[in-house]
Amino acid sequence: MGQAYSYSKGEAELVQPSLHKPGRRLPLRKVLIFTFLCAGSVLFLLPLWWMISTSLKSMQEIAQYPPTFIPEQFHWSNYLETWTAAPFTRYTMNTLLLTFFAVTGNVIVNAFVAYGFAKIRFRGKKLWFSVLLSTIMIPGFVTLIPQYVLFSKLGLVGTYYPIIIPQFLGSAFYIFMLRQFYLTIPTELSEAARIDGAGHFQIWYRIILPLSKPGLAAIAIFAFNGAWNDFLGPLLYVNDESLYTLQIGLQSFRGAMQTQWNYLMAGSVIVLVPMILLFFLFQRYFIEGMNLTAGTKG
Amino acid sequence: MNMNQPQAGAQHPLKASKPRRGKLARSEDRAGYIFILPWLIGFFGITLLPLLFSLYGSFTNYDITSQMDFIGLANYERMFSSDPLFWKSLSNTIYYVLWMVPLTTIGSVLLALLLNERVAGMRMFRTIFYLPSVLSGVGVYFLWMQLLNPSTGLVNTLLSWVGIAGPAWLTDPFWTKPAVIFMKMWAVGGGMLLYLASLQSVPPQLYEAARLDGASALRRFRHITLPMISPVIFYDVVTSLIGGFQVFQEGYVMTESGGGGPMHSLLFYNLHMWHKAFTVFDMGYAMAMAWVLFVVVMILTALNLKLSKRWVHYEGGDS
Amino acid sequence: MQIHKHTKTLLIPVLLFGLAATGCTPKQAESSTASADGKVEIDFWTFWGSETRRPIIEKIINDFNASQDKIIVKHTYLPWGDIWTKNLASIAAKNPADVIINDIASVDQRASKKQNTELTAYLEQDNIQDRFYESLWDNVLYEDKAYAIPFNTDTRMLYYNKKAFREAGLDPEKPPATWAELEEYAIKLDKKNGNVYDQVGFHPLWGDFGIDNWLLNADGGKGFFDNDNNMYINTPAKVEAVNWIKSWNDRLGKKNVDAMQAEFGSEQSNPFISGKVAMWIHQGTFATQIRDYGKDMEVGVAPIPEKTEGSGHYSGGGGFVAEIPYGAKHPDEAWEFIKYLTDYDAQKYWAVKNFDNVANKEAASDPELLSDPIYKAAVENLEVTTHFRAPIAVPDFKNLITPQIDSALLGNITAEEALAKAETDVKSMIQQAGK
Repeated sequence: MGQAYSYSKGEAELVQPSLHKPGRRLPLRKVLIFTFLCAGSVLFLLPLWWMISTSLKSMQEIAQYPPTFIPEQFHWSNYLETWTAAPFTRYTMNTLLLTFFAVTGNVIVNAFVAYGFAKIRFRGKKLWFSVLLSTIMIPGFVTLIPQYVLFSKLGLVGTYYPIIIPQFLGSAFYIFMLRQFYLTIPTELSEAARIDGAGHFQIWYRIILPLSKPGLAAIAIFAFNGAWNDFLGPLLYVNDESLYTLQIGLQSFRGAMQTQWNYLMAGSVIVLVPMILLFFLFQRYFIEGMNLTAGTKG
Repeated sequence: MNMNQPQAGAQHPLKASKPRRGKLARSEDRAGYIFILPWLIGFFGITLLPLLFSLYGSFTNYDITSQMDFIGLANYERMFSSDPLFWKSLSNTIYYVLWMVPLTTIGSVLLALLLNERVAGMRMFRTIFYLPSVLSGVGVYFLWMQLLNPSTGLVNTLLSWVGIAGPAWLTDPFWTKPAVIFMKMWAVGGGMLLYLASLQSVPPQLYEAARLDGASALRRFRHITLPMISPVIFYDVVTSLIGGFQVFQEGYVMTESGGGGPMHSLLFYNLHMWHKAFTVFDMGYAMAMAWVLFVVVMILTALNLKLSKRWVHYEGGDS
Repeated sequence: MQIHKHTKTLLIPVLLFGLAATGCTPKQAESSTASADGKVEIDFWTFWGSETRRPIIEKIINDFNASQDKIIVKHTYLPWGDIWTKNLASIAAKNPADVIINDIASVDQRASKKQNTELTAYLEQDNIQDRFYESLWDNVLYEDKAYAIPFNTDTRMLYYNKKAFREAGLDPEKPPATWAELEEYAIKLDKKNGNVYDQVGFHPLWGDFGIDNWLLNADGGKGFFDNDNNMYINTPAKVEAVNWIKSWNDRLGKKNVDAMQAEFGSEQSNPFISGKVAMWIHQGTFATQIRDYGKDMEVGVAPIPEKTEGSGHYSGGGGFVAEIPYGAKHPDEAWEFIKYLTDYDAQKYWAVKNFDNVANKEAASDPELLSDPIYKAAVENLEVTTHFRAPIAVPDFKNLITPQIDSALLGNITAEEALAKAETDVKSMIQQAGK
């Protein structure tokens, strides 16, 4: 029973012989994969190139036809002008605040609730799980107004509470997702701990959480992106422009008649950077499991 | 709240197997409800009322601001008998879901497998493939409109290099939905991330043992990887299906004044619903549409759950 | 002790709820009605958030705030499109803005749904009706009562590239006046290079006009419905118009048209400014884009060509109104501000800065403005501009017409069949709604 605890990194390294002895030729398979990934990357990056290129053009050049692939002149100043066209510093602070609550709330609460759905046998579980699933099947438009009225009756319209509170009450999508992750963790682990007299809370905290790090990292990333890109929530519930977020700020470049494409794209690029950085950093959790043999880092 | 105390009854694990719900089962019940409490509070606090309101609203002529009279099943009757756009939008959406779900699922699994390899520059590759899935907002849709341009767009330019004359993606009613599905394929990074996370949870010992037994890579995938990540595939399929039925933005942003494109080929169910609710304030009808969709998706999800018993493998037991 | 830390985290939202329910939220959500110095603060929502428009409206607001000592207007920008969603939600929650800028085409529809405030009492006290163009005033009435005040309007005209005219041997001072001339000019202006067009003279569906407007232009300025809800869908003139539009596709090649339409629909590059298309229909404000991005272009402007001589140069237009959402907290103060907003000074400032057609006649025909030829042409064009209206009962009737016409343009059915089918569908829709 005790050996069930042995899914540790150290163990894995012991079992896994190093595949790369210095001086050994690269296997053909790796070369193929590398080539394929390079080609794919180019395809995936082309659309982004167009975004960056537009962000560096003048409006005169954008109005030209056919569109140029590389800007005739690089207008780096677009980025500065975008930043000062609206109070973007303030919007960034606001967005960061909301994102912080979204990430902490979602990671902690959903990890907790999902354990109940995955690892405890209690009466009515099937029913509640069906209810949980069904809440994501109703299109949001039709509950948008009633929900607004509800928050208005609670006196919360005009504050961030309608956006922050739900982040601490579990999200059906993430609970479902983490439940699936927990279900891949062998039962013997928690059973053994039960017999040793551990309570559910301890099992969740000491065994399940450490083992589901990749899943939690995925949730953190998703929750971050969700809050970072959320547009309708802040727009509906906030009445004061000083509480606006980045996504609302971006919209101000879109007119009913005319859109400032270079600013819109420059803003989109700026907004994208933190999400890329976050992903780059969080990847640690995706390479911990098996590919951490000595001397190679992903 | 003494959850960290050893549970009374834990010393008698044998009792759990008795049909009579004993002390242990009761404490299990209590623990279960304590764990799902936050979600329950949210459900009763902010989800349930709006849901019930929309259910009741679907039997009324609710227009948000001036009326809400009970009209029985009239909305549902109108939907099935005299709204041609209802059927059009439903069939558009089903077409989209039928293609999008399998394509993105297979796409993201394959991508995750590739990105789980150990190749130089892997962090970079992962970031690049993941990147498009986090782009959001109208900018992206306009970017794609540019890319899908029949003559100067990047997509058809690339196709012409391999000798294919690309179609008029967004103006030819036959090609509009494939164009949108094509766009979706670009954003498989989100699903890829999930599979990457679950591939990491596969114990390496399993592969080692299989290798020692001389199992081929394909067999290893078929008998180890696939079963181990099947719970996550199941999650992905179910949520893509639900999400797919709620496709909206593409039709709203990429067609003239959000009308649903040439011959309504991009009038998705939710777009039709949105117009009913917010353009002509026929909110009662929109709510009825929402509940019809709810029933359709519910049946499909229930089917999925049933079928999952056959192919989803739960290491931790299907509790 | 871990447990306690987490319990606290979980308790926070619960506590917040408790607080919310008892009404002692940390920050009062209700907008303060009175500011420190006893002035009333009112909320004004617009979708003018761009660098060009925001300063203009905010200067008007500041002028108003300085002009009196009772009211302070607070401006909130909300993105185009989403502003209506938020407006609806806030009306439903009985907590709306005091003044909002909204679409002129659907004032009556909103009035029928109790989304805006009836202004009869205010108009009896300050009769400002005569400030505005009559056709615009008609649009703010529902059952003969006003529910909004016109702010600005637009009209569509034909812009043409004089240089291209000269190259093609056409007289740049004689723009096309009829459909036949339009076609004749367009053919002369086409420049083909193998299979690809370097320059296209014209296509009816590019630019900012659209099928509906052509059908209106063909049919003596009649849209699909007139103000008395008489239907004009399947008329000979409209059938002719559909066939005429299709003839352009046949001549230029559907594939070419599709390709070019996709490009021009991207809202980015403008084919008229970049010299790809020689004649282009757009609103009056298009002149500012030509000024800003069209280096040394020579542009002429003319009314929309008429179907045959004497049938009328009818054009379509829209515009925006200022209205008081239903249930607004400060309607009297809102009215004071709307009066100011639609008075000569504010309207003239808006027109000069935006090159926009304003609703106030006197401001619109200010000599300083009329000195600009394009602006002058736009003001004159208002005379032949019709505003679309939808019957209250079937606001989304066009959903049944557009696909039929699309189908006719693709050659699947004839124009007669398309409009006949559309008319039948709309009729049954009206019957349904009347139930």
